[in-house]
Parts: sequence; structure tokens; C-alpha cells
Amino acid sequence: MSNSVESYRSSVNSGLLFLLVGVALLFITIMCLIFLVKSYRAGIKIGMEKKVLRKVIISSATFTVLPSISILLGVIALSGTLGIPYSWLRLSVIGALQYELNVAAMAAESIGLSGLKVTEMSMGSFTTIALVMAAGILGSLLCCLFFLGRYLKKIRGNQAADTAATDAKDKKPGFGAYATTAMFIGLCSAYIGAYLGDAIRNQNVIPLLTAGVAALTMAIFEYFTQKKNIKALDNFSVAGSMLIAMAAAVCFGQVIGG
Amino acid sequence: MNQQEKKQFFENFNKSLHIIGKITVSISILLFLLIPIVVGFIYHASPDLGSFWSGFAKVAVIYYPVAIVEFLVYTPMLGVGGSYLAFITGNVTNMKIPCVMNSKDITDTPDGTPESEIVSTLSVATSAITTTVVVALGVILIIPLKPVLENPVLLPAFNNVVPALFGALGLKYFIKEPKITAIPLAAMILLCTLVPAMISQTSILILPAGGLAIGIAYLLHKKGKL
Repeated sequence: MSNSVESYRSSVNSGLLFLLVGVALLFITIMCLIFLVKSYRAGIKIGMEKKVLRKVIISSATFTVLPSISILLGVIALSGTLGIPYSWLRLSVIGALQYELNVAAMAAESIGLSGLKVTEMSMGSFTTIALVMAAGILGSLLCCLFFLGRYLKKIRGNQAADTAATDAKDKKPGFGAYATTAMFIGLCSAYIGAYLGDAIRNQNVIPLLTAGVAALTMAIFEYFTQKKNIKALDNFSVAGSMLIAMAAAVCFGQVIGG
Repeated sequence: MNQQEKKQFFENFNKSLHIIGKITVSISILLFLLIPIVVGFIYHASPDLGSFWSGFAKVAVIYYPVAIVEFLVYTPMLGVGGSYLAFITGNVTNMKIPCVMNSKDITDTPDGTPESEIVSTLSVATSAITTTVVVALGVILIIPLKPVLENPVLLPAFNNVVPALFGALGLKYFIKEPKITAIPLAAMILLCTLVPAMISQTSILILPAGGLAIGIAYLLHKKGKL
């Protein structure tokens, strides 16, 4: 391994980064605890039974354990390029694997790298990419900061909360739902098109083969979750497919070189 | 507590959650933005502002509209406390929303009631704390594995994280809506094969590909073919 990769990795896994990330995570965890305690007390005050409140807490904790393990797999996948502490921060609070990787890749191209590749990273590129990742995900937080009170008041005033829940559960989705799916289809098409073009024009086949293995693995996950109804597997489908594809990339690297 | 007192109490409770929520969101935003800046300052590798704005513009065009849609759709389900916490702690669609719906379901709590807001907030807070604990334990276990993860043999794995992601996600989305997929995918393959310079410009390609897919989805939706 070259010295620059070694030095980059040692910087992005430094004690300083662990400390900064630890402070942010500690702050957010304390705030979660404050919300938890306040809501529990308020629940008792308005006449909710303690056993119902405890049931919510226990079921939420157990419900979250499996998806959290898949988040951990995401941290492992991201840690090779962005280091353990920053991947840990991005995936255990605020972000999600799909968003983080895509934004990091877009930011990497904006600073002139050929993609999110550890062999091309430096601390300068890391801080720029990290800042794009941080600023790029603030949309919902800014909406909460400036509009949440007024928006919920309006929704409640129009008795629309029930409608929103009913819409989500029972009715055919509106164009909004398709627009989001369509946007992600466009996103994936751009990348898959680029991998295919790269394989045909530049004979760089490893990205395409890696994507192919990920797709194949995802197809197997989809078969078991959709056809065999093993819904718990859904939590692992993206992270699991990625890790298997990354393992395949190592084999392709050994066989083809790269 | 009669209904009037309950309503008054809950209004005051929500007001206090808004205050704590806004403070928490503001400090969190500062922390998220400051970490790369502080690291850059200490390592003499500050973020390049030109590259930042160029990257941010591309990201914001895609993700800010998504963020607004998520805010509009999810906040009525999450309530005041749940919304602040869910958007700070992330993994909203894939974890927090299913978790909240599950909690409401098993406790038979109707939406739009004070009880529903309490259940949402408890659920999101518990879920976030559980994730933090599980991932923290996992990270402690990963650290001793660092020499293995950093072995040069594994470099192709970490150089191909993005293809691995889009292979998996692509399959998931493509089979979900094949009618929307066909044209944008074919167009991107053709474009990248005929104009090789576009291969390294995926962040630019996303815009026409996304626009094309949304346009096709709109037409199909309008004709009732979705």
C-alpha cells in the first residue's frame, strides 16, 4: 500500500476524529434521552398506561436492533474510504447509506477525483467531501427549524393528519411517490450507464462486474423477501448485497488486476 | 384530567418540545458543519470552497426537493418530538417510520391524537438510542480489525463501494418500475458508450437521467399506466 493511502487512513481514523464524532453523538444521544423522558412523563400525565409506554419502548428497541446491524455493515463498507469515525457519525445519526455514498461520490467528482476511491483521497479532499455531505443533507432539518410548528398546526387544523396516514396506508400513491422512485431510477441509470460505457470503451470491467454481483445478490434478497415473505431480510438487502459485491471486487482485482 | 386540561397541557408540552427541538437542531447543524472545518484546520487541509459549492449545488438539486417531500409526508405521522428527532438521527424512511408505525399498530394508537405523538416520540427516541448503542459496540469491535480492513488486497473492494451500491439499488428500483426504467437506462448506456467523456461525469448525468425518468413517470401516471 502506498504511503499516501496509509497516511490518509491514519488521519481519518485519528483520535481527534473519534473525539469530535464522539462529542456529536453524545450530544444527540442526550437529547434523545431528554425527549424520551419528557414524553414518558407527559404520557403518564395525560392518562396513558405505564405498560403501554413500556411496550412502545421495548418494541421500538427490538424492532431497531436488526436494521442497526445493517447500518453497522454500512459503516464497515464506508470506513475504507472515509475512515471509521466519520462513517460512524454519518450512518448512526442523520444519514443513510444510499445518500451518504452517492453524495460522497458526487463531491469526489466535483473536486476532480475519478470517483470515491481511497487511492485518490487526501485530507483536503476528505474535508471538502465531508462538508458537502454535511450541507447536502440539511434540507429536512432546515424545514423542521423554520416550518414544523406552522405546518403541523395547519395540518392539524385541517384534520389532515388522519388523511395523510390513510393515504399512506390504503390509497393508490399519488405522483409524489412515483416522482421519488423515478428520480432514483434516473440516478441508478446514470451510474449503470457509466459502468457499462467504461467497460466497453475503456475495458475497465471491475466496476460493472461489481455492480452485476450486487444486483444478482439483491435479486436473491428480493426473492426471499417478496416471494418467500422473509421480511426480516429486507433490513440487510442493501448492505448485504454491497458487502458480497465488494468481496467479489477483491477476487476480480486478483484475477483481472486493478 | 378533563379534555380541556388535557388539551391545554398537551399544547404547552408541544411548545416546550418545539423549543428544545429547535435548539437541538441548531446545535446539531453546527456540529455537522464544524467537524470537517475543524479537521481541515488542524490538518492544514481546509475544504476547498470552489469544489464545495460545485458539489453542493449538484447534491442540493437532487436532495433538497427529496428532503422537502419527506418533511411534508412524514411529519404528520411523526408529530412534533418525533419529527425533530427523526430528521436529526436519520434513517427516516428505512427505519424510523416503520418503527413508529409498528409502535402505533401494536398499541392501537390512532393518528392525530396526543397519545399518537407520545408514542411517536418515544419510538423515535428509543430507536435512535438503540442504533447508537449497537453501532458503537460494533465500531469497538471493528477497531481491532483495522489492519485486516486496510490490507492492500482489499483495495479493490473500497474502490468499488459505489458500483456495489448502485448495482444493488439499481436492481431494486429497476424491477419496481420497469416502465419508467427502460428509456433512461437505455439513454444513459448509449450516451456513455458513444461519448466516453461522459463516463467520468456521472454527477452531471444524474440531472438529465432523473429529469427524463420523472417526465416518463409523469406521463405514465397521467395515463393511469403505473
